[in-house]
Amino acid sequence: MNPSAILASPRPRTRIRAWMPAGLTGVAALLPLGLRSVAHQNLLVLIAINIILVASLDLLIGQTGLISLGHAGFWGVGAYTSALLVMRGGLPFPLALLGAAAAAAVAGLFIGYPSLRLRGHYFALVTFVFGIILTLLFTSLVRLTRGPMGLPGIPFAKIHLPGLGTYTLNTFQSKVGYYYLVLVVVVFVLWVRSRVARSRMGRALVAIREDEDLAMTVGVVTHRYKVLVFVVSTTFAGLAGSLYAHYTTFLSPEIFTFVASFDLFVMNLVGGAGTPAGPLVGPILLTVLRDILRNLSPVLAEIVFGIFLIASIAFLPRGLVGGWRDLMARWPT
Amino acid sequence: MTTTDAATFLQYAVNGLFLSGLYALVALGLTLIFGVMHVADFAQGALYMLGAYVSFFFTRLVGSYFLSIPLAMLLIAGLGVLNDAVVYRPLHRHGGATTFIAALGILLILQNAALWAFGGDFRLIHSPFGDAKLEISGVIVTYHQLFVMVATAILIGSVWIFLRHTKPGKALRATAQNPEAARLVGISGERIALLAFAVAGSLAGAAGALVSPMRAFDPHIGAVVILKSFAIVIFGGMGSVPGAIVGALIIGLAETFTAAYLAAEFADLVAFALMILILFLRPQGLLGRPAAT
Repeated sequence: MNPSAILASPRPRTRIRAWMPAGLTGVAALLPLGLRSVAHQNLLVLIAINIILVASLDLLIGQTGLISLGHAGFWGVGAYTSALLVMRGGLPFPLALLGAAAAAAVAGLFIGYPSLRLRGHYFALVTFVFGIILTLLFTSLVRLTRGPMGLPGIPFAKIHLPGLGTYTLNTFQSKVGYYYLVLVVVVFVLWVRSRVARSRMGRALVAIREDEDLAMTVGVVTHRYKVLVFVVSTTFAGLAGSLYAHYTTFLSPEIFTFVASFDLFVMNLVGGAGTPAGPLVGPILLTVLRDILRNLSPVLAEIVFGIFLIASIAFLPRGLVGGWRDLMARWPT
Repeated sequence: MTTTDAATFLQYAVNGLFLSGLYALVALGLTLIFGVMHVADFAQGALYMLGAYVSFFFTRLVGSYFLSIPLAMLLIAGLGVLNDAVVYRPLHRHGGATTFIAALGILLILQNAALWAFGGDFRLIHSPFGDAKLEISGVIVTYHQLFVMVATAILIGSVWIFLRHTKPGKALRATAQNPEAARLVGISGERIALLAFAVAGSLAGAAGALVSPMRAFDPHIGAVVILKSFAIVIFGGMGSVPGAIVGALIIGLAETFTAAYLAAEFADLVAFALMILILFLRPQGLLGRPAAT
């Protein structure tokens, strides 16, 4: 995929578009009132976590044109860090959440700093391999992570709201409270994403995406910006990891394999990399589709998913949102 | 070092070489395809796995293991060619990352199709050699291991001769070196791509059929083997044939010795650690040509 092909077409911000984020947040907040079954609410939480992951990945792929294929590794770093900080370190959940973000940021810095000197396919390959190495570490560090046996019994998130009391979000009893917690993080991540896009940094990232050599020539310190956006991206993946760990209360290295990284990449691609709504559309559509297919037959789900994926990169290289925009642009007004 | 220590060391070396042979077959196909098509064809892992299944069912139904090997090579080569015609060629214009994703997609599809058709049980082909083995001063080599090593050497040798001394082989190398110039002298890039996929598929099919009497398999083995072979191809130099063979030797042995002398749980990490190391020190790989920029 040619990253320069995914430049969003500039459009004036209308009043409706300015209200979109608030409106969508409102709708998202009302959803659990309508969807009362446990299965639907479970899906809502998983979609929200996937939105965090895909939005953070889109900072790299959509904004900067860096194809990263190891994102699930950083998600795993956050998940294991948070779980172990609470279980072994006895830390309260909010600190574990921050710890998870910090650990994923450090991992992102260590991996991103050298890797981002490589260009194009080499960078994609290196992130792919680092993703595998991180998964292998979750498997190998048996004393810490219990390896392939998995890490069960992760405590539920306990949150103290000043003046309102302390809540334990037992996700086995009700998923609604936890959904709102995840939603807060989703809104935060999307807000940062839109701020970044409109900042000096965002313009530097677009310059890197379009032509890195030219960006360098006009004085953009491209490596520094790339490392910065990579660390921001992995930090968000770490947040998603922590939220995932205390939601399912069970972790295993199999959750964070290269197949998961690949899923996130596909969600980003199908939604439309670099488009404002892409990181919402992709995760919603594919999480729901996968759930429907899995209920029919888990094996068949993977087969259909694979075919769907190849078809979507063949026919919709700019994703659904990108394709929609192309269609609208061609429409006579 | 006492004699028993030396014998243990040699035993590990033999086991490592066996593993290297398996990796070399898959990595060789991968590097050929990469050289010609610039596709990191992860579907080769699924082809390897399906080669094992072809051999397993043929051996069980017809009773001849030896005949099952050429059959697996033929059928899997066909499947490899089909992948090229149906998926990679239409997608080729989109370039690198897209075909890589498509390759992973094919791997997932074939892996799950196998899971659906054959179930998730581990299978083992009965080797016609049974458990017969040689013992040379404390080092044990089974007849089947010996057979696999000889067969691997013959296969690699024939690919080598094919590439060096036959017209289609030379055309393949020419295309890998400079596709435009090859087209100018009348070599069809599409046919060469089909050829590369056919050779790679037959190697992956052979690897699956050869190794599966030694190692039990299920539909998931392809993913592990292809990840290692991929690391080997990057390590040796993408598109480099000697690189794939030398890389397979180094990584197969390094893996076995790490498991034996350091810690078994880190054996899988070695290949990827070596790959990362080479990418930072020498991005074109051990024996690769520096990429033109």
